[in-house]
Amino acid sequence: MLAYLARRLAWGVVTVIGVLLFLFVLFFTLATPDDIARKAVGEKAPQAVLDQWKLNHGYDKPRFWNPESPGDTMLAEHFRRMLTFDFGNSDADDTPIGARLRSGAGPSLAFTLPLFVAGLALGISLSLFVAFFRDTYIDRMGTVLAVLAMSVSMLLYIIGVQFLLGKLLRWFPISGFDYSPDVMIRFLAMPVIVGLLAGIGGDLRFFRTVFVEESGRDYVRTARAKGCGEGRIMGRHVLRNSLIPILTNVVMAIPFLFTGSLLLESFFGIPGLGSITVDAVNANDFATLRVVVYIDSLLFIAGQIATDFSYTLADPRVRFG
Amino acid sequence: MKRRLGAVAFAAALALSACSNDPYPDADDSRAIFYTVFDDPPKTLDPQVAYSVIDHSVIGNVYDTLLQYHYLKRPYTLMPGLLEEIPRAEPQPDGRVAYTLRLRRDLRFHEDPCFERSSPGSRTRDVTAADVAFAFARIGDPAVDSPVLETLVKISGMREFGENLTKRRKEDASFAALRIDRQYAEIGGIAGVRVASPRELVLVLDEPYPQIRFWLAMPFTSPVPWEAVAWYDGHEGRELFAEHPVGTGPFRLTRYEKRSRIVMEREPSWYGARDPGAPGTVYPTDGEPSDVADGYLDPARVGKPLPFLERIEFRREKEDIPAFTKFLQGYYDLSGIPQESFDRMVHEGALSPEMSAQGMRLAKAVGADIYYIGFNMDDPTVGAPAGERGRKLRQAMSLVADTVEFERLFTNGRGIPAQSPLPPGIFGYDPDYRNPYRKVDPTRAAQLLAEAGYPGGIDPSTGQALRLSFDTPATDTRSLLTFQFWVGEWRRLGLDVQIAATSYNQFQDKVRRGAFQIFQYGWVADYPDPENFLFLLWSGMARTKNGGPNTANYQDPRYDALFEQMKARDDDPERLRLIGEMRAILERDCPWIPLFHREGFALYQAWVAPPKPVGMAFAVDKYRQVDPTLRTELRAAWNQPIRWPAYALAIATVAVVLPGIATWRRERA
Amino acid sequence: MPLHIWINGAVALFVLGAAVATWRLRRNALWREAGRELWRRRPLALAFVALYSALALCDSISWIDAEGTGVREPRSLLVRAFPVDFQEASYSAPLADVEFYGGQPLQHPGAHWLGTDILGRDVLLQALRGARVALLVGGLTSLIAIPLALLFGVAAGYRGGWLDDLVLFLISVLFAMPGLLLLIALIMALGRGPVQVCVALGVTGWVSFARLARGETLKLRELDYVQAARALGVSELRIIVRHVVPNLMHLVVITFVLMFSSLVLTEAVLAWLGLGIDGSWGQMIDRARDELSRDPIIWWNLTAASAALFGLILAVNLVGDAVRDILDPRTLRERA
Repeated sequence: MLAYLARRLAWGVVTVIGVLLFLFVLFFTLATPDDIARKAVGEKAPQAVLDQWKLNHGYDKPRFWNPESPGDTMLAEHFRRMLTFDFGNSDADDTPIGARLRSGAGPSLAFTLPLFVAGLALGISLSLFVAFFRDTYIDRMGTVLAVLAMSVSMLLYIIGVQFLLGKLLRWFPISGFDYSPDVMIRFLAMPVIVGLLAGIGGDLRFFRTVFVEESGRDYVRTARAKGCGEGRIMGRHVLRNSLIPILTNVVMAIPFLFTGSLLLESFFGIPGLGSITVDAVNANDFATLRVVVYIDSLLFIAGQIATDFSYTLADPRVRFG
Repeated sequence: MKRRLGAVAFAAALALSACSNDPYPDADDSRAIFYTVFDDPPKTLDPQVAYSVIDHSVIGNVYDTLLQYHYLKRPYTLMPGLLEEIPRAEPQPDGRVAYTLRLRRDLRFHEDPCFERSSPGSRTRDVTAADVAFAFARIGDPAVDSPVLETLVKISGMREFGENLTKRRKEDASFAALRIDRQYAEIGGIAGVRVASPRELVLVLDEPYPQIRFWLAMPFTSPVPWEAVAWYDGHEGRELFAEHPVGTGPFRLTRYEKRSRIVMEREPSWYGARDPGAPGTVYPTDGEPSDVADGYLDPARVGKPLPFLERIEFRREKEDIPAFTKFLQGYYDLSGIPQESFDRMVHEGALSPEMSAQGMRLAKAVGADIYYIGFNMDDPTVGAPAGERGRKLRQAMSLVADTVEFERLFTNGRGIPAQSPLPPGIFGYDPDYRNPYRKVDPTRAAQLLAEAGYPGGIDPSTGQALRLSFDTPATDTRSLLTFQFWVGEWRRLGLDVQIAATSYNQFQDKVRRGAFQIFQYGWVADYPDPENFLFLLWSGMARTKNGGPNTANYQDPRYDALFEQMKARDDDPERLRLIGEMRAILERDCPWIPLFHREGFALYQAWVAPPKPVGMAFAVDKYRQVDPTLRTELRAAWNQPIRWPAYALAIATVAVVLPGIATWRRERA
Repeated sequence: MPLHIWINGAVALFVLGAAVATWRLRRNALWREAGRELWRRRPLALAFVALYSALALCDSISWIDAEGTGVREPRSLLVRAFPVDFQEASYSAPLADVEFYGGQPLQHPGAHWLGTDILGRDVLLQALRGARVALLVGGLTSLIAIPLALLFGVAAGYRGGWLDDLVLFLISVLFAMPGLLLLIALIMALGRGPVQVCVALGVTGWVSFARLARGETLKLRELDYVQAARALGVSELRIIVRHVVPNLMHLVVITFVLMFSSLVLTEAVLAWLGLGIDGSWGQMIDRARDELSRDPIIWWNLTAASAALFGLILAVNLVGDAVRDILDPRTLRERA
């Protein structure tokens, strides 16, 4: 098992390097350093000011190969900074990126965490419920509703819920965020509801399939023959043994807790990581965008390794020795 | 199962009880707080650099200016601010002009840790003339990159100061490492900015420039403590000076999350609070004749000490529809009117009965601005190189640009169709002047087009419709719709105008390279003087050549000559005549198609004391007043949540599911 | 040559290709059975998909009227079904006679079944034309992504060794990066045209299918007849083309159908960011987003675009589910 873990870690490291290379190509060939400088400093700035800015932000060096001192290139700088988590300052307004991301993590977590927990709870409960009543009209209705729910664009959910719950029924503020707990709940209710609506369709179908498959297994039939109540079967046996595929979903979703959702944070005015990303896109702030993509990828890779790892722990039959 | 049901029921109950759409903590309910919105984060709070409206919304409250505008008097009138009186021009024998700036007594900066460095143990100090000189020095410092440097190089020695500074910094590393105020002192400061005494500064200009007084009314010339600039340099975790202002104003910045929330609170050490009676420290006692009827001179405010507000809260709203909805719910105190809701709010120029019943009020102001379509006069097809053909083409295009229809579609008729670059309220504006090329005349346009050599819009060299490029800096849907409107108008002439929509970045790049043909722009007055508009077509400010705001690259020697004569004159009949001549040149040459002057409609709540609309940007927050009790009352009345759908949904779900459970139970038994 | 001629040509080629493919597949018992089964299970959904496809087709064939007769721009078959210059000045309600704001009489009173938008364009026509964009996004992108995925996946799975490692590396790297951000960056670089958007979507979307193709290829390699062919010295390329790829076809079909709806939905999000394709439903929704807050409400824009989008996605999802069930390897084996 140790060998397996070591291999997975090695793979993770290699992927991270690949990600960094890809990022470099993507960001440093998209716009010339002069363009980035002008956007940050201003249009009327003379070339001297632009050069100074480029110097300060590390855009002045040659990109790949420096004949004078090999190793002093933008590529090397990029690698060095990302690997040591020395993110530097934003291209758009010179504020430290690390601090900004840290401040954005809180609001993002504040709504993705409840969303995740509620989504999981709701998804599993509803799926168990529907699987319990499989092949009845409840099951069919559930499946139909799930497909319907999956076919609606997230945009429409947001527009609809904002209009319905925010404007018409006046249950919650339309958008915004505040750190004081009593107000924060009001602001987070709608994004969580929209997130639930958007995800429930896929979750329902997926979990239901898993549960139905599991409840068709021999040991379940045996239990039924022995007189075990259906509820107990579903709740105790089926649920526990369906954990592996569920676990995959769960652990993979953990990275996304931090990165927030671009759409939700934008429409609902939550100053989280997703909102920082959208701002960076609009402002052509390459430094911040680079860092966000990098962090996202890191979290994803970590999530994958964690998933594989939890697989080994959860299922005694799985040993990748 | 039962426990789970219980948990669900509990969560639902919790959710329902948290139902309230109030975005503010309950503790703030009865305080004199003003809530308003901003959509783009401020770029900088450095007074020598900031140029956008939102930047100034903060700076105008945190920094005092040397002079200020009277809140109520129109036309806009200057009055003293930090200075004791408005400085008068003192012509010097060598042709230069001097101004003596005398500061009031007992002015102090806001308390801030940065002052510990100069005087340990104290967190503030008095404002001196040296601080004003420091502000001018910063404007002249190329590293600060102040946008008004090019205008204020009229100050003697400003340009040399900047050049010497740059040279010295490059040559001498130890100099470049000096503290900023020492650097300025080493160079010897600006020759034309002389500290005569602790409260007196003498400003010397190379040529007459009466508009200098307007610049003294802007934060660019506000005194700034060197300690703050030196201390807030971004090192060791300290903020940048651009994010940490230290001023003298009636408010101080207490919370700066520029992407979501900006909060300013009343500052008790403001000179106005300590010494009421100075201009701008109490609510004005006089104004225009109509002000009494309009409610701007109500007894509750007249003569009372400023500011009335305890706190100003700016919240970020990226989209204007949700912002407006929150305004209607009572959570913002002031709002513009989005286009979509216009017809509900305004009926025939006045507030609709529905809105009046809620106690809201409407304020209208024509902005000192001009929105126009411009031609790149360097372009071989539409510009000066095309000579008479180009001119007729431009005139033809101007004759079909239907501003009234545009306003009907996109601005609800708000705005005054423009005949020339000068807006109402500016000296030289003639309400009776009609530009013959600014009425809609498709027949004449077709004729001119034919005379220009493009009959029916066809370019004889290609045999197809003349292809022109409309270069735009916005790619969002709303803006594209407006550009498509103009293109549609020109298409009816037979011209094939292609919209080249790019990001703002790329657009600026195109403009800089001269690779553009037709564009649309706007300009808002910095100060109420015609020079601030007519200079946009002066060759000295040509975009591609000199980087100035004359984006059309218009260069006409006669216009330039008239401009030189007119720009520094006082407002007299001769100046009027010069402006008329310039206008006639522009009319014929048509480098711009003047579109309209924007008319701002603002709505404010019943609990806001009527604010007088201003068509120019200067800080008025200190004059604002709210009635918190009325606000709390009305907000509660307008925002009762409608709970019945939740109950109905719960009942419906149970009703649907119950028979299924019953059936299933029966089957399994 | 003008653009519309190229497009007509491409459409003709495509229809021809589809006809040939269908004819050849009909001879294969497996596909014939699968097709019949699909029609049996989901006739309504299939009909919907066919309807949208027909609309897309009609909107792709366009030509210019002869000199001196009509409009000088190319107009498609779909547009010709509507009157020429079918535009009003601004908003009008469905089937109305007058403008929504101002009450001025319309040029085509009562003829706009779903009303008009802010520039007076007929909403029904716009909604129908959106089908072309949607199918373009789903179709063209898949045309880019699937062959790419097959290429990399099969090569990696079959050859193994360093090629496999390289492709796996590429897949891991791309997979680890957040999809939407990659898309944004690519579109900002490539430009905002329909082809560029499809290319960007394709480049970011081929990864998961490549993984799947690789896995399947690994399994197929070990099959008896493939091993036999290799022992006999049949060229690699031939084996791949004749034995491996045809056995991946069912996965291709499933993936295509399942990817389709996610691509169209992603384009809607891109439209909100200003990076979508002109004329798409996503763009209509983005424009109409604020109209719900008007008073009186303007609902027809948003409803038309949402209904059109929803209809297609739902139909494709239903068909996709059925396809997956039918082509599931287990059921395939049972029937074979």
